[in-house]
Amino acid sequence: MKRSMRWICTAAGATGILALVAGCGATTAGHTSGAGASGIDHAADHTAASGGQTVTLTETGSSLLYPLFTDQWIPAYQSVNPGVHLEASSTGSGTGISQAVAGTVDIGASDAYMADQQVSQNPGMLNIPLAISAQQVMYNLPGVRGHIQLTGDVLANIYQGKIQYWDDPAIAAVNPGLHLPHLAITPVTRSDGSGDTFLFTQYLSDTNSSWKDGPGYGTSVNWPPVPSEVAANGNQGVVTTLAGTKGAIGYVGISWLDNAVAKGLGYAALQNKAGNFVLPTPANIQAAADATTGIPKDERVSLIDEPGQHSYPIINFEYAIVNQHQSGAKGTALKHFLEWAIDPQGGNAATYMTPVHFLPLPSKVEPLSRAQIEQIGG
Amino acid sequence: MAAGIAASSPVVFLAGIVTIVVIQAIPSIRFSGWHFLTSLTWNIGNVYGGLEHEHGVTAASGASFGSRVFIVGTVASSVIALLMAVPVSLLTAVILAYRTRGVVRTILSTLVELLAGIPSVVIGLWGMTVLTPWISTQLGPLLSRAGGVIPYLRGPVGTGMGLLASGCVLAIMVVPIITATTRDLLLQVPTLYREGGVGLGMTDWEVVRHICFPCIREGFIGAVALGFGRAMGETMAVLMVSGNAVNLLPQNLYSPISTMAAFIADQLDSALTDASKMAVHALSELALLLMILTVATNLAARLLVSSGRWRQRRTGVDAP
Amino acid sequence: MIAGGRRRRRKIHRFLGWGCAWLAAGLVLCCLADMVGTVLLRGLESFRWRMLWTPTSGSSGGLENALLGTLLLVAISVAIAAPLGILGGVYTAEFAGRRTARVIRFVAEILSGVPSIVIGYFAYLLLVQACGWGFSALAGGISLTVMMLPYILRSTEASLQQVPLTLREAAWGVGMTRFQTIRYVVVKPAMAGMATGVLLAVAIAMGETAPLLYTAGWSTMNPNLQLTHQPVGYLTYIVYKYIEMPFPDAHALAYSAALVLLMVVLLLNVAVRAVVGHASVLRFGRGRSPRSEDYRRAGGETWQIQRKRRRS
Repeated sequence: MKRSMRWICTAAGATGILALVAGCGATTAGHTSGAGASGIDHAADHTAASGGQTVTLTETGSSLLYPLFTDQWIPAYQSVNPGVHLEASSTGSGTGISQAVAGTVDIGASDAYMADQQVSQNPGMLNIPLAISAQQVMYNLPGVRGHIQLTGDVLANIYQGKIQYWDDPAIAAVNPGLHLPHLAITPVTRSDGSGDTFLFTQYLSDTNSSWKDGPGYGTSVNWPPVPSEVAANGNQGVVTTLAGTKGAIGYVGISWLDNAVAKGLGYAALQNKAGNFVLPTPANIQAAADATTGIPKDERVSLIDEPGQHSYPIINFEYAIVNQHQSGAKGTALKHFLEWAIDPQGGNAATYMTPVHFLPLPSKVEPLSRAQIEQIGG
Repeated sequence: MAAGIAASSPVVFLAGIVTIVVIQAIPSIRFSGWHFLTSLTWNIGNVYGGLEHEHGVTAASGASFGSRVFIVGTVASSVIALLMAVPVSLLTAVILAYRTRGVVRTILSTLVELLAGIPSVVIGLWGMTVLTPWISTQLGPLLSRAGGVIPYLRGPVGTGMGLLASGCVLAIMVVPIITATTRDLLLQVPTLYREGGVGLGMTDWEVVRHICFPCIREGFIGAVALGFGRAMGETMAVLMVSGNAVNLLPQNLYSPISTMAAFIADQLDSALTDASKMAVHALSELALLLMILTVATNLAARLLVSSGRWRQRRTGVDAP
Repeated sequence: MIAGGRRRRRKIHRFLGWGCAWLAAGLVLCCLADMVGTVLLRGLESFRWRMLWTPTSGSSGGLENALLGTLLLVAISVAIAAPLGILGGVYTAEFAGRRTARVIRFVAEILSGVPSIVIGYFAYLLLVQACGWGFSALAGGISLTVMMLPYILRSTEASLQQVPLTLREAAWGVGMTRFQTIRYVVVKPAMAGMATGVLLAVAIAMGETAPLLYTAGWSTMNPNLQLTHQPVGYLTYIVYKYIEMPFPDAHALAYSAALVLLMVVLLLNVAVRAVVGHASVLRFGRGRSPRSEDYRRAGGETWQIQRKRRRS
């Protein structure tokens, strides 16, 4: 008993030291860890690289933009400007918008632009398109080859629970000659506030009147009650859920396409305004992007269901939501990064865009974005 | 006197939490009224549309907040958890108290208590990667076939994420709580009573069943209530396996659900996109409701545990 | 004949009863084994030592930032909660009147019953937004503090109450003041229980996620000096977020984080238990709510009488 008491005292002492150390400041976190030495080395590296101060820009939001940020832009920008450290996380466009407005992050990534109400409440917020992206409808139907064809109307009926099996006549009608199994449909939605939800429900609203009058569109909508429906968190969650559930259908951002296809998921050809069934190929997305007209100065505009024979119906701007009131080094760093990001020779170059199936901003849009970036400052 | 100030810190924290949550909930209470408890629909409204004014407060057009789905999800998953956990814990406690001794008892007890120490997110991880696939492919179809007469057992199993999976992970989290308490209660039953039973010719099982169980009844119910409170407040593990359903009551044992705690964790970011802030207020009201439920359960549990002790003492039962 | 039938029935009951009981115990142990086994197996498969000194990058990399972040958050919360909890516990056990002590105990109990997500929500509204700290180590640390505080307070109080009154009487008898008694006589034997309480509270805090989601944020950088306006990573976030990603790399990271977390938390638990033996203070469970033995430990009647005697 005596000996154990000594142990306790040692333990208590250790705790006390831990507490004390914490009180002194956060650097000590490096000391308390076993791998402390290397932690300090890293910190030193960052500071040394810029020859002075390292600026950290934090980004959160859209899980559609996330692969571009984390796999392409962050490593690339490290060599362009080593003094700036970028932080990205995939939390959903809703979070991107709200955290940018709240000022907890520097860049809020979003597939959806801010609502009028939000803009009038937060006049300093800019919606800056960084690239063109698209969204595909994916499904887990083992044994079905090729791409099934879907219309917005059929999708709206699936998500309203009116179509419950894959061999439903309504689906068969738009897929002549294709044999679909008698398998229950599990619609998958997003549980987080999501730009993908925004785009998908916009497409449904445009093509199905009962959807338009019912749930409508938004980053989080009032999903009609469907017993088998599940909600997943982020594009990553949707892909994982789809891959694990036979008969599931869901909407996924284009940057996750390769990954999802590798997991055995198929993606649908969607009916566009002209009545054709089109796939989200670069050409079809480009066709839709070229068809856009009348982009306002604040660039808050929907690109859903553009006219044209080959236009893919669900495309959008990927927005950086930033506060124009920035000061000092951070403001400059932010400005430079965004300018680099939309530069056709910089972040908008094909080397970064192609792996995630994004398209660069059309030449008529880029000046608008540039003008908005110019507004950032004191 | 520093000690006195330190001692008042829980009061300060609690007051802070209650104040913030209540203040934030007031606009929602005014907006939704009793509707909040009864309505099935949770709709933050069309944040891309206009605003609407009602009862002197502003919300996004079409907004309507009802928490019945989450109340039902919370209570149903916790009840299912208890249905599984209560018999298992009681019997495990009997084994720990009467069938093991010395090193074996110490090791087994420690193991059960270690179960309580596993972080909830790790339990959620296990639930997601092991439990839900198992429910979806094995247990669900089996129950669905076997339970033909019981309505809630039938129906499509789906992804495996839902009520049953939530109940299972919650059961795993409350079993150690109930077991440890019950074991201690059983150990408190005086040897004299048990010897009396044996003297009357009872089998050892009859002694447990007819002497020990009645002795610990109140304390045991208290322990169960504690577990219930804990289960209702659990967030992460449930969030990972519940399927995050909205606007729909569970149809069968496999339906996706949402609990109040998981919904708050999941929806705060969406709610913040609402320019009218009503969605945040509504979440506050949900948090308030959850707090009232869990705190009330905990207090009831405490009352039962201590009244159980009092009764024991009155009847002359005392700790050995 | 009838007697024989009854005897057989009683035998069968006995057999069934104990059978079920062993089955239940087996089930609990199997669950534990399966859970720990799964995490161990998949964790060991994917764990690489270099993860400990590589920060997360994208959906792969290592755990250094999260590990340091978790340590920082726990350090902050211990730095606040331990003094508050221990001093509060000493006050409640030694100085407070019967009614005050009851109120404090009651409030601590309610506070420990508040769901962790509500605490996180509160901290988000107050610290992150109203105080404008942003996602930060301090906001996360304070929400963990709220979780730990009632636990430390109660365990400190309980271990002080275990110190027999005779010790105090002896100290008073040789002319010690109240403070001296506590400092030189009472605290020492209670030290084991108090340290245990703090260490187990640390184990709880390390495994928490819900209070941190909206307070600490997430960062792939190692934490630095800045306590506010700088999000910080933590291990449980990796487990929660990365398991949802459809990348093998991300899964490997999630399992490794779970492994590290589980090992640290379980080792902390086992170590504390092994050292202290079965000091009953341990059995607060997870600090969410006290158990029956807390009341028993409080000494029941005997203790009440002693207190009365001390008061008078």
